[in-house]
Amino acid sequence: MNRKIKFENIFCYFILLIMTAIVVIPVAWMFSTSIKDMDEIFALPPKWIPEKPSLDAYNRIWNQYPFGQYFLNSIIVVGGATIISLVFSSLSGYGLSRFNFKGKEWFLTFLIINQMFPSIMLLIPYFSVMKSLGLINTYAGLIFCYTSFTIPFCTWMMFGYFKSIPKDLDDAARLDGCSRLQILRLILLPLSLPGLFATGIYSVIVGWNEYMFSLILTTTDPMKTFAVGIGQLIGEYRIAWNDLMAASLIGSVPVIILFLYFQRYLISGLISGAVKS
Amino acid sequence: MKIAINREYLTGYLFISPTTVALLLLVIYPIVYGIVISVFNTNLINKWDFVGFKYFIDTLFSGRFHQSLAATFHFTFFTVIGNFIVGVTLAVILNKNLPFSTFFKTVLIVPWLFPEVVVGLLWKWMFNSIYGIINHFLSLVNIIDQPVTWLGNPDTAPWAIVITAIWKGYPIVMIFVLAGLQTIPRELYEAANLDGASKIQTFFFITIPMIKPILLVTLVLETVWWLKHFTLIWLLTQGGPVNATNVVSISIFRSAFESFRFGQASATAVLVFFICIFISKLYKTLISENE
Repeated sequence: MNRKIKFENIFCYFILLIMTAIVVIPVAWMFSTSIKDMDEIFALPPKWIPEKPSLDAYNRIWNQYPFGQYFLNSIIVVGGATIISLVFSSLSGYGLSRFNFKGKEWFLTFLIINQMFPSIMLLIPYFSVMKSLGLINTYAGLIFCYTSFTIPFCTWMMFGYFKSIPKDLDDAARLDGCSRLQILRLILLPLSLPGLFATGIYSVIVGWNEYMFSLILTTTDPMKTFAVGIGQLIGEYRIAWNDLMAASLIGSVPVIILFLYFQRYLISGLISGAVKS
Repeated sequence: MKIAINREYLTGYLFISPTTVALLLLVIYPIVYGIVISVFNTNLINKWDFVGFKYFIDTLFSGRFHQSLAATFHFTFFTVIGNFIVGVTLAVILNKNLPFSTFFKTVLIVPWLFPEVVVGLLWKWMFNSIYGIINHFLSLVNIIDQPVTWLGNPDTAPWAIVITAIWKGYPIVMIFVLAGLQTIPRELYEAANLDGASKIQTFFFITIPMIKPILLVTLVLETVWWLKHFTLIWLLTQGGPVNATNVVSISIFRSAFESFRFGQASATAVLVFFICIFISKLYKTLISENE
């Protein structure tokens, strides 16, 4: 019996190690490429550890490419969209968790159906509307666009967090003469701070990840987001893989750290949002 | 009492109104507008010729659309299956809470956190037929003797994008299923153990039924996500070679923004929307039949 369990555990570790290798090897390759020079990238056979490793690529992405501008654009757009969706989804999450009203179920279902819309179906109308409103190549255009992706799910997440806070607290505060907005601001939001962070990070991940819409809604270099900026490098004749991989890592690591730091809250929020639907 | 209820209604509406207005403007209006575009031959600026359902009929009977649907289903089917096999296996293992489980869990989530563009570029580089690490590795272990042009060959490209999508996508299945597994009370397993149930029996008669709801939700979400996926495929193959990976979202994107046939593209998008709805309805029927 004991031996059987031992064998089973060894088998489990075997699978875990293989999968870890499949995750780690591409990431290691990305790093290895980013510290090579052009000759060593195109050396045969490929080498894992370059003979003269250098961080030049990490310098070049700031000096020779406008990645500073791309990152700044992404931060402004994603930040703006996140703040807006947090405000909107806290308000609606509060409304949904505390009040009964006609059409509530319908509203909740509608939020879920949003996940079903093929985003490509929105792309053409967005392009047309933004063009006629002069919002192509503006932060506002992209912020509106990203907000539309994140508000529905963020509302579900905030709804879930608020529901877990007992209503008695509201009633007590009402007796003390607090208005509804004060209750939300002074009692519920501080209590669901982890939830608020998780919802915010969800929105950041979605926005940071977005590619198709920003590809169409930005046409000039100074307005491009990180994703579009890095994506367009692939079209060049001789692709500078070292610069590309350096920019990839710089663009990914902050989000990964942010997530890992808050992962406990984010995962429970994501799941409660998804399952209730 | 009635006034109190009305007041509650009103306050509720007040709080959801910003979101409602935002979604009306940012989702409902564009969708309606998209449907309008689909019945026009238009350049979106000054040419608006009404064509009725011409584009819908053209699309439904065009071989290109069928080919692109086939590519989409191939991609979605194998990606979702792959994500489930890898994700569920890992979730079951992680749920055993062996030593170092937390470490493995953290590492195994990482692919999901890389932006899609980064994953696309990274795999494009790894699939490179001359300098890529994948061919290098496969030839080291003698699986291949000639470099494979993964992304340049219509037979291998559809599999290359599936592999990339599985690498990027399995963590979300793993996270969801793991959360489902953690809600199963340990007593159930102990009882089954006392009754002399084998590991395999416990898995199929306790674990699977207990996490069925979360499995089904994940299945629906996964299917819809990958069915409309764009970024990875666009970066890896742009729909090529010879349309082998020309999934519907790529096909719509190209006909809109490369051929400027906005009406045609919108009509195809509306059809894809119906396919998404049909699939989720299909799953729903399956779920209710099972219950």
